[in-house]
Amino acid sequence: MHDVERALQSFHSLRLEDIMPPMTSMPVVTVDAPILSVLKILKTRHHVWVVRDKESMRLKGVIRYLDVIDILLPPEAYKFKLGMTSRSLKSILGGAEKAIDVAERDVLTIEKDSTVLDALLKMRRYRAQVLAVVDGDRLVGEVSLRLLINEFLRLLRTGDVKWMQHGSSSQSESP
Amino acid sequence: MDATWLLFTIGISLILAKIGDSIIERFELPGVLGELLMGMLLGNLVYFGIVPPHYLPIVSGYGFETTATEISDFLAKLGIIFLLFLGALDTDVEQLKKTGLTATVSTVLGVFVPLIIGWYALMAMGYPSREAFAGGVLLTATSIGLTVRVMMDLGVLRSEVGAASLSASVMDDFLGIALVIFAVGSGSLLNLSIKIVVFFIITGVLGWYLIDHYIRFAERLHVEKGVLGMAVGMMFLFAALAEGWFAAAIEGAFMMGLILSKLPEGKRIMEDIRAIGYGLLIPFFFVHTGAMLDLRVFENGNAIKLAVVLSAVAIIGKVLGRGFGAWITAWGRGRDFLFTKENFWMSLQMGIGSIPRTEVALVDLMVAIQGGAIPPEDAPEFIAATLIFITVSVLITPPLLKWAFRRDIESTIAEKVETRKSQISERKKRVIQQKKGIKSKLLK
Repeated sequence: MHDVERALQSFHSLRLEDIMPPMTSMPVVTVDAPILSVLKILKTRHHVWVVRDKESMRLKGVIRYLDVIDILLPPEAYKFKLGMTSRSLKSILGGAEKAIDVAERDVLTIEKDSTVLDALLKMRRYRAQVLAVVDGDRLVGEVSLRLLINEFLRLLRTGDVKWMQHGSSSQSESP
Repeated sequence: MDATWLLFTIGISLILAKIGDSIIERFELPGVLGELLMGMLLGNLVYFGIVPPHYLPIVSGYGFETTATEISDFLAKLGIIFLLFLGALDTDVEQLKKTGLTATVSTVLGVFVPLIIGWYALMAMGYPSREAFAGGVLLTATSIGLTVRVMMDLGVLRSEVGAASLSASVMDDFLGIALVIFAVGSGSLLNLSIKIVVFFIITGVLGWYLIDHYIRFAERLHVEKGVLGMAVGMMFLFAALAEGWFAAAIEGAFMMGLILSKLPEGKRIMEDIRAIGYGLLIPFFFVHTGAMLDLRVFENGNAIKLAVVLSAVAIIGKVLGRGFGAWITAWGRGRDFLFTKENFWMSLQMGIGSIPRTEVALVDLMVAIQGGAIPPEDAPEFIAATLIFITVSVLITPPLLKWAFRRDIESTIAEKVETRKSQISERKKRVIQQKKGIKSKLLK
């Protein structure tokens, strides 16, 4: 079996809880955080988790990079039609002030004992770049495409797998 | 059946719908009016004999029934189903559970006052009770879109009145959609009530608890758009059940949307549903509805008379019902607040915010016509009257809301000016102190 295929197989069977980043490095704000703080975080991150408070870490929503469009648009840019109003309430000019006002409350989640393959399938099915890892309704971690890419590259490095490209092989980056 | 002219009709309807929507939106009015206008244009080309019905099979009735017009009717019906499915899917059920007393009481009165006034007014005009009741139901559901837009412009959407208006309008959609069952349902009231209870147990309770497993099952199929297909499939089963029992498929679609809305996975398929709905079926439904308005109906005064009555009841009934409902709760501030000017103005704002009607009124109208509550011979005047009261309601709401909120806007501006002034004087003081500090340091 090809080295990369082997690496992919072991990559797919990795458990999420073994590769999740520490909670301290995750972008998390509380429901009453001002939108400006959220925007500052989104300058360098692709999402921000919104929790009820930092003690309970009860997950209340997520603000994704693309949600910034709704936050910054003026009210007249929205179409107020049945089935289209929820997005329009997220504009700053519409009066949104706190993180929870602009957060997507229905967050795609995955259990911490799921595998990378489970996460990838869910991401593909719902075109999501990030999933919240939860224990009940408590946020315990996250799995993002960036994390998965890093983890796959790390596997290739540590397994000394050769990266096949354009018909030639080259040694992967040393760790 | 030659599909050529049916395909042509669908194509031209969609193109005109989008153009009409865009034109009317430029006037800050609901785009649906543009779609209805385009439909009127198409329909009346047929009614006035300018285009033979064979070439534009968008309306049935008047001897125009063909397989193509039946397909048009069915596509429009699918449009209603998708509109309600989408509306329910977009609902934040968790947020609704937090709805306060003011929104709840004002919703109930805001629905039943225009319903009862409308029902009695139409009976006084000579319409049979069932038809008059259906007419009253048309007046129940508010279209919050326009109110949200105006409140956003005025900067009062997040105010107490704004938040209560939002919750109340979502709830009165529920009631407006549910009440139409009593207009179109057949059999005794007891029989109908039993059916309603069983329907809500099957779709609501079972659906609510089993939907999670159903979506997991759909995910495990690992097929392209599997979750979407399975969700839409179940929605049609619910709709079929509701159509069979109450002649109101929308109830099933609405329930499935609500059930699905509690899952993040359900919200994720919303974009796909929007694409199907607003890309094809919903605009076609609005064009089809507009096309049903034969302008020759205005040759006699009945349609105008009905329009005047429905418009008056729609406006006065809602303002009275919802406004009084809000006033009597005194916004949860106790008896002392009841007879204050502030309570009066806030309640009036709440009432005025509930005037606009669009989508759900049209949906109820079509369900009432298709379900036989409004007989075919009266359908043209009800269509004309509904389109007129919808137009009147959306035209008068923005200026009335601006007038009702003028005191709040003036006081908000005055507060902002005061805050700015105090900020400037604070800054001046700080600069003077800093200058003094620098001077004393230099002197030392």
